[in-house]
Amino acid sequence: MFIARSEYDRGINTFSPEGRLFQVEYSLEAIKLGSTAIGIATSHGILLGVEKRVTSPLLVSSSIEKIVEIDSHIGCAMSGLQADARSMIEHARIESQNHAFHYNEKLGVESCTQAICDLALRFGEGADGEESIMSRPFGVALLIAGWDDDGPQLYHAEPSGTFYRYDAKAIGSGSEGAQAELQTEYHRSLTLEEAEQLVLKTLKQVMEEKLDAKNVQLASVTKDKGFRIYGEDAMAEVVGRLESN
Amino acid sequence: MNHFPQAWGRPRDDIYGPYDSSHLHSSLPQSHTQSPAVTGTSVLGVKFKDGVVIAADNLASYGSLARFTDVKRLRTFAGTSVIGFGGDVSDMQYLDRLLQSLDIRENYSSHGHSLNAKNLHTYLAKIFYKRRSDFNPLWNNVLVAGLDDEGKPFLSQADLLGTTFSAPTLATGFGAHLAQPLLRRLVPHDEGSVKDVTREMAIDAVKECMKVLFYRDARSSDRYSIAVVTKEGEIEMKEDEKLEGQSWAFADMIRGYGTQVN
Amino acid sequence: MASLMSDTAAHSDALGYSFSKSIPNPTSHSSGPRQHSFYPYTDNGGSTLGITGSTFAILAGDTRSTSGYNINTRHAPKVFRIGADDPSSRIVLSVVGFAADGNALKERLDTIVKMYRYQHGKAMSVKACAQRLSTILYSKRFFPYYVHAILGGMDEDGKGALYSYDPVGSYEREQCRAAGAAASLIMPFLDNQVNYKNQHVPGSGEGHALQQRQVTDLSQDTVQGLVRDAFTSAVERHIEVGDGLQMMIITKEGVQEIFEPLKRD
Repeated sequence: MFIARSEYDRGINTFSPEGRLFQVEYSLEAIKLGSTAIGIATSHGILLGVEKRVTSPLLVSSSIEKIVEIDSHIGCAMSGLQADARSMIEHARIESQNHAFHYNEKLGVESCTQAICDLALRFGEGADGEESIMSRPFGVALLIAGWDDDGPQLYHAEPSGTFYRYDAKAIGSGSEGAQAELQTEYHRSLTLEEAEQLVLKTLKQVMEEKLDAKNVQLASVTKDKGFRIYGEDAMAEVVGRLESN
Repeated sequence: MNHFPQAWGRPRDDIYGPYDSSHLHSSLPQSHTQSPAVTGTSVLGVKFKDGVVIAADNLASYGSLARFTDVKRLRTFAGTSVIGFGGDVSDMQYLDRLLQSLDIRENYSSHGHSLNAKNLHTYLAKIFYKRRSDFNPLWNNVLVAGLDDEGKPFLSQADLLGTTFSAPTLATGFGAHLAQPLLRRLVPHDEGSVKDVTREMAIDAVKECMKVLFYRDARSSDRYSIAVVTKEGEIEMKEDEKLEGQSWAFADMIRGYGTQVN
Repeated sequence: MASLMSDTAAHSDALGYSFSKSIPNPTSHSSGPRQHSFYPYTDNGGSTLGITGSTFAILAGDTRSTSGYNINTRHAPKVFRIGADDPSSRIVLSVVGFAADGNALKERLDTIVKMYRYQHGKAMSVKACAQRLSTILYSKRFFPYYVHAILGGMDEDGKGALYSYDPVGSYEREQCRAAGAAASLIMPFLDNQVNYKNQHVPGSGEGHALQQRQVTDLSQDTVQGLVRDAFTSAVERHIEVGDGLQMMIITKEGVQEIFEPLKRD
């Protein structure tokens, strides 16, 4: 099996006889090495949470940026090769600004996700023979949270270019355990505060380090405030509440 | 001896000086057609209950010179439509070639249906509009006669600017002034009157207008082409007609007409 | 004479101008042969008009198409439905000016609205369409679509919406607007009859004390009547307006199209 596989995992555009694109499958593996990221959609808003791997006490933890803003109403958490996410985020930001410029309205969350996924398979040449712009698939997965006319939404976008909408989703190294936890704990009437605690509780279970206010990051998207990243004080307050439970 | 074959037979620089290639890349901006050269005059078209009549004379003028007296300005397309060309004759020939190759391509393609007059008119209008937008116009004014996608008579105009419109009677050039008012008498209620117009009425009206145009348009001729497209999809094309029943009696007392000059 | 010339030359050299050696520039001389150049625009006449009420919007236009003093055809509609393959579409565009540009603009907006539906899974709002139309027009800022466009529809609150444009994309939402050949004849009539300009409450005082007549919400029938009156009057005074009247009435129920005759003289 392994020998047969190695024959077909060189070219990124070559199907194996079983109909698989190994390079794309490998890129999914890269995400399983990434830090855990969690998203939960509630009727009050969407909550995003990531673990920051503070690998050295000399590392300035605030420089680890795994949750970013796309537009005032859309944010995104990542897991995998962070550098790859840069070009995807940049594309999404431009797409969102372009939409606002042309249509005087906010870009839909699904449309934003679709725009990001349109990039995912650009390692092959396009239908009209455009040059390929990437040498390999992306090595990063995104959780895209936003609020538009259709209310709060959470999407998961993979390097394969597929995306699905979730009520709650975990990605990265701890995703299996975290997803199981979310499945048992999620319910429709969750408040945003409960979601904060659920995200932190779940992260705590799957993280190797001991969870504190410095090695996790939360962000939310609400109707009124849009995308908001939790500052140091807010993080300390929320983490403090978790410990008191 | 020069050992570079590319240089053999070329004027030597040491004798003739280096080649002055300045004229090859002129610094002036490229200019396109600013006015037509050899032109055809009016085209007339009338819808009747079972089809369309279209006519144009066989003259191609070079300014005020009657340059070519046997130029057919009605062209058939796909055996279903007729296009009448006014304006520049070389642009007409270019468009005819373009449409002929389009027809050949369509015939080779696997989908069965052929392009009708309405499709053809849309296509031509897009070409005209594209070329005017590139500041490189095709200097024509055309009528397209045939059938639409419901098999009903179709008559529409398109010009060098890409302007398009449709009416039961149409006339380009001088015809818009002299023939259109006469033709409109056939259809007092526009599209609603077409059902009352017979083939004979349409042909007679068009012939009468061709005569009026020959009387008053100095760039017209008494040799003309006339085509009838019917609902059955048949085209009856006559390319060597002569104006009949001319009466120059009105000119009897007018000096300047005919042979007597002073 | 020669000394005069050389003197002039010396003088001009000192100033840094060369009169004697200057190459005649054909474009800067008004005498001599001049080339007639191709002009890519024409005016096809006609007029359009739009009025909104609280539950509807009406866009109207005459159906005459002209070239100079000629009537090309008596039936060339200038008001178009946009994205009409979707029955929920409530967007209507009217264009007046250069008809070929008007048609090109209409087709471009129509495909954009259709593509928007595929890409975003929802119908485009008039507000979004209005902004998009502006960017389309401005994208041809230096070779404009020579048209005055009016966009009509129902806004997100279910009220009639109307946006009017200049040829390069400046736009504004308005209650009513007339455009085209007879705009200057129709617009003052609309100011007076829709926004009650120069109408005062009788006996309310003199000078500054005189009160403006309060603007009221007009019914659909009233507005249809105003449109008819506006056009029958414009036909009397403008040679490029006539033949037929096309009205598009946009309500939450749908878009209704009406044709009526106008004088054909």
